[in-house]
Amino acid sequence: MTSLTKASTLSSEDISVWFGQRQVLSDVNLTFPANKVTALIGPSGCGKSTFLRTLNRMHELIPSAGLSGSVFLDGEDIYGEDFDAVSVRIKIGMVFQKPNPFPTMSIKDNILSGLRLSGRKIGNAEELVETSLRRASIWNEVKDRLNDQAISLSGGQQQRLCIARSLAMDPEVLLMDEPCSALDPGSTRRIEETIKELSSSMTIVIVTHNMQQAQRVSDQTAFFLADDNTPGGVVEFGATEQIFNGPIDQRTNDYVNGHFG
Amino acid sequence: MSFAPRPAVQPWKRANNARRLQIILAAIVPVLLTALVVMTSGLDANLATIVVFLPLQILAAGLVGFRAYGRRGIGDALLVVVTIFLSAFVLVMLLSVFFSVLSEGSRTMSLQFLSQNNVYISNTTSLEYGGVANAILGTLLIVGITTIVAVPLGIAMAVYLTQSQSKLRGLVRTVTQALSGLPSVVSGLFVLSIIVTFGFTKSGIFGSLALFPLMLPTVARVAEEALKLVPSDLRLAALALGAPNYKAFFQVILPAAKSGLITALLLGLARVIGETAPLILTVNTNNGTSWDPFNGPMETLPAYVYGYLSSSFTSAHQRAWGGGLVLLILVAVLFGSARYLGRAKSMKSKPTKQKASK
Repeated sequence: MTSLTKASTLSSEDISVWFGQRQVLSDVNLTFPANKVTALIGPSGCGKSTFLRTLNRMHELIPSAGLSGSVFLDGEDIYGEDFDAVSVRIKIGMVFQKPNPFPTMSIKDNILSGLRLSGRKIGNAEELVETSLRRASIWNEVKDRLNDQAISLSGGQQQRLCIARSLAMDPEVLLMDEPCSALDPGSTRRIEETIKELSSSMTIVIVTHNMQQAQRVSDQTAFFLADDNTPGGVVEFGATEQIFNGPIDQRTNDYVNGHFG
Repeated sequence: MSFAPRPAVQPWKRANNARRLQIILAAIVPVLLTALVVMTSGLDANLATIVVFLPLQILAAGLVGFRAYGRRGIGDALLVVVTIFLSAFVLVMLLSVFFSVLSEGSRTMSLQFLSQNNVYISNTTSLEYGGVANAILGTLLIVGITTIVAVPLGIAMAVYLTQSQSKLRGLVRTVTQALSGLPSVVSGLFVLSIIVTFGFTKSGIFGSLALFPLMLPTVARVAEEALKLVPSDLRLAALALGAPNYKAFFQVILPAAKSGLITALLLGLARVIGETAPLILTVNTNNGTSWDPFNGPMETLPAYVYGYLSSSFTSAHQRAWGGGLVLLILVAVLFGSARYLGRAKSMKSKPTKQKASK
């Protein structure tokens, strides 16, 4: 199935983030072109997951959160007056680090939950379930047990179910927060293949701690770093090839070659 | 690789015969010795269980444990003996209450006892006449009204305490906890003062009112714990899919907390269904059958039991036991059906149809 909506370009402008009075991110300017996969890498605590959450307004759910700057989806500010958090999240889907299928729902209902929760029409439920599961390459494993509880699946299957759940919303952008960190190599490989296939129909931003994964799946890479007692920020941003094989900044070089972090 | 049959004995359960003999001796000798002491000295059997049997059993188990594992074996053996002894102690107490209600109450039990009311029945009337139907009705109506009001409010309080970021939560939680220590007779007294001040007649609805502050804190606190147990991941997942807060709550958090919320309902019911003092103060008693909780006194099961217990006649006592048994059965039926309904719904997840057509 081809996507109903076209992929969009997402960009951040001077994004700075605070928790309470403490600044954790400073002036992040990144552009995620349509149909490209962007990897965000960097040591733990450098703010890359926090940054990811500002991209679909999940950040504001933390009570002490503060923010300045803008995020543009095809030129429109998602923090602007024409958008509200709910409609942003419908267009910009998210996959979390830990698989979080809804435990009280069947596999099928998990796929349909996004549309039900956001109050949108479900045209052909059967077809939507099948397409979404196929796109997340899990259809063959679950097609005979669509009415089973989602928690009966293995961890890797649950994560792909969560991806399928996001895909059923037909998002323009998909944010992935270390989607493979809790999974075995086999499941990781399948999710990476899925990411590559999906990039033909959407824009993908993925946070990862796995250097090989960043090289395998992404077109461009941003390296985040937070030095001692300073807020995190982007040290270097460019084509993945360049970041890993000819980084300009010495710190990027050290990180991608495993000298620290 | 081929499948091998499961071995009959697990390696960690293999015990040598000497050890087995020690364990058997340690289990039998203290009992026999205690029996001997009781028979020869005429010591009270209950007292002997504590002052003779328990020390002997601890000594025996400690010896076996020491021979097998050294010092650490003593600790293990002590833990086993004390745990089993205390569990058995509690179990015996519970079962004896249950058994006495069952055996005494079953003499009264009949279709007529469940279907007739208490009109023209005195303390000496034969058990072939009269029953508790009016009391069952009164209890169901009064507790039912309290439940219908207190459970949604209690759950709403729990939602407020778990889902909001309000600064007043601490205050609400403290007040709720203080309220849960409210003696039921004080609650009854408070409502009675309303009745007297405004010149109302005692009736069922005031009983519901008196039970309300007893049920609410129980429901709120248990429901709060149940909602706290729902992982915050699920709420985030729902919000990330573009759910408004209320849909995330009703379609994701509430179903995930369902069995805990049913526990909240049941513990709330258990708190009030046997309350006697506030009902006697505010509802009074009524030998006849009343369907109207807004008009005049009603009979309730606890009040029925209390009324017949204060007599000195055997048949009256038997009626009281019968009322007690009916109350126990009522609680069992309510608990069983709530658990069954809760389970049956969560087993099969049904699609919400009106959402699909909207």
